[in-house]
Amino acid sequence: MIEELEIILETTSKILQKHVNHNLRQNIVSENTDILNLWNEIEKNGLPKISVKEKFGGYEIPFFSILPLIKIVNNHGTPLPLSETILSNYILSESDINPPNGIVTFATNTKNLQIKNNMISGEILSVPYLKLTKNLLIVHEFNNVKKAILIDEINGEIIDKKNFLAEPRYDIKVENLNISEVKPIKNNIDFNFLGAILRSAQMIGAMEKVVDLSINYCSERKQFGRTLSKFQAIQHQISEMAVELSASSAALSTITELGLGEKNSNDTAILKIRAGYAAGKIIAISHQVHGAIGFTKEYELSYFTKNLNSWRNDFGNESFWEEFLGRRFLEKNNKNLWEYLT
Amino acid sequence: MSKFNFPFIKETNELSNLRKEVREFITNCINNNEFTPSPDAWVFSADPSFSKKLGSKGWLGMSFPKEYGGHQRTALERYIVTEELLSSGAPVAAHWIADRQSGSQILRYGNEKQKSSIIPRITAGECFFAIGMSEPDSGSDLASVKTKATKTKNGWKLEGRKIWSTGAHLAHYMIVLARTSPASEKNRHEGLSQFLVDLSLPNVKITGIPDMTGQRHFNETLFDNVELSDDSLLGEEGKGWKQVVGELALERSGPERFLSHFTLLDSFINEFRNSLIHSGTKIVGKLISEIQTLRRMSFSVASMLQNGEFPETQAAFVKELGNKFEKMMIETLREFSNIVPLHEWPNQLQNLFEDATLRIPSNSLRGGTTEIMKGIIARQLGLR
Repeated sequence: MIEELEIILETTSKILQKHVNHNLRQNIVSENTDILNLWNEIEKNGLPKISVKEKFGGYEIPFFSILPLIKIVNNHGTPLPLSETILSNYILSESDINPPNGIVTFATNTKNLQIKNNMISGEILSVPYLKLTKNLLIVHEFNNVKKAILIDEINGEIIDKKNFLAEPRYDIKVENLNISEVKPIKNNIDFNFLGAILRSAQMIGAMEKVVDLSINYCSERKQFGRTLSKFQAIQHQISEMAVELSASSAALSTITELGLGEKNSNDTAILKIRAGYAAGKIIAISHQVHGAIGFTKEYELSYFTKNLNSWRNDFGNESFWEEFLGRRFLEKNNKNLWEYLT
Repeated sequence: MSKFNFPFIKETNELSNLRKEVREFITNCINNNEFTPSPDAWVFSADPSFSKKLGSKGWLGMSFPKEYGGHQRTALERYIVTEELLSSGAPVAAHWIADRQSGSQILRYGNEKQKSSIIPRITAGECFFAIGMSEPDSGSDLASVKTKATKTKNGWKLEGRKIWSTGAHLAHYMIVLARTSPASEKNRHEGLSQFLVDLSLPNVKITGIPDMTGQRHFNETLFDNVELSDDSLLGEEGKGWKQVVGELALERSGPERFLSHFTLLDSFINEFRNSLIHSGTKIVGKLISEIQTLRRMSFSVASMLQNGEFPETQAAFVKELGNKFEKMMIETLREFSNIVPLHEWPNQLQNLFEDATLRIPSNSLRGGTTEIMKGIIARQLGLR
């Protein structure tokens, strides 16, 4: 399976290298044929269903093992919700729902959600790339039962979000929208945990790109007669980015290896905290060393830093997970810290 | 930027059992009043009899080969033992440097006589080392050392001064970096060599330097034309720079870079657990997430060392992040004093806190400064 995954990673890199450029990122609409071509090629290679069970036509590679793929997709700044689709399809498949073809996006949050007669009403919030697809996954708890809800035709009042983010996001208000399928979710599937892991892997892929952009820019840009990279003040700032990034990657490799279980759900918290802090520092430093050019729309840095800004807030920010982690330990009254850590 | 990976290394059941064994041993020592846990113990708290005890348990020179009295265990096993010792504030300063770096350096570069006469004593916890790198005029700029070794009929003559050598007054040997030929104009790193110097030789004068806490661990060592035998040279003449860089990789990546003040954190949490549940869950979570990340990284470096890799840069990452964490930890505890004022903390905890606050500036100096760590990383990123 490792070999299989490596081939997939390599193929994916090639596809993305061929199709993704900064122009594409600036025109993310369903009529854009370049966007459609890219998606078709992604789908042809089976990437959306990589973690889906074989009986539903997937590769059945465990979600945690494909995190390196999520990293690559976001390292290329792919302006399509492939990461979201992979996670949505995984959750659907684990809930014994056959994932549809095409893009499946998800609701990051919801408000006042109700189900009646196989129809759903309420507010569905912060949905990435909503206008590219008709398929939407909502995970919600009704009467203490967590459910996966698949919608395959979205009608409702769409509220265009302000363009704070690089990826398009929308809120929708729906009333009596038909549900395609709804099933209870298995206990071991926690949408908030999986979402936090997904966003962290995306952030790490994007941060690798941001550090590379910064290194390259500073090695070319000359001021005071030498390249920026020759200034110690700049070298130290870039080193700091590298340190932050390597700590986040170390936290990610724990999840990739161990997966997610009751025993190591702390590792999810640690990953999201670590990646969130790293993103904060890396956003600030990369813009600082890039100067004004990094603050323009035409240069690609901001595509990545805008996404980092949104992902660090999704599925719990640093404070949320710090609370979680701290409370979990402190409430186990009988253990001292070192015993707990080891 | 994906070339500096820290692959996840699992703690096997075998390692967990070793951890338990060490922990039981330490608990017994504490219960028998053999030592009181203290902060920064790997620098400040030396107890040769405790070192000897560890030696007899087989927990020193763990990865050294059996033919020299070692135990041929893995770097991961050694990591587990050091973590347990550090987190409990055990008095490990006497043997720390010998066990961490000097022994490995001798095994790697030493001749047969050096190995067979010294390594078994390190492993037994009877032979201690000090570091001979910095000089009064050479700190971060290590290649500028002026200590000089000149060839004589019977060996070498050593002349110069080394400074900031922790524990030199208790140590039997020092590995000294000295010039054996002038630096070439192109390459300052040429012409340096390492020497294995017996500190009991005539004309070696060791003077203590109290640090700002008033305690003595620092020393200045004067080598006033010390006669060294021919086989005092460690490794190859002129290759001292390469050797010393390898030694530093051993020095920088260990858990002492983030567990030096763990005893403080532990006592703090035990004391204030109830108030923390109400108003400190976030700070505890923040500290846990950082320690666990560092542990994973440091353990990963141990496995690189085990595989014979050369993780100089990864070691710099661990040291830099660990130093930052320790400073952040002190600041975080300080912030908590708006919930329970400092003067209401139990005396022992107040002392630990004040001790740590005083000592913390040294953590990003010893073993290479923050600036040097960032410089090493920048070079690897192709910026220098």
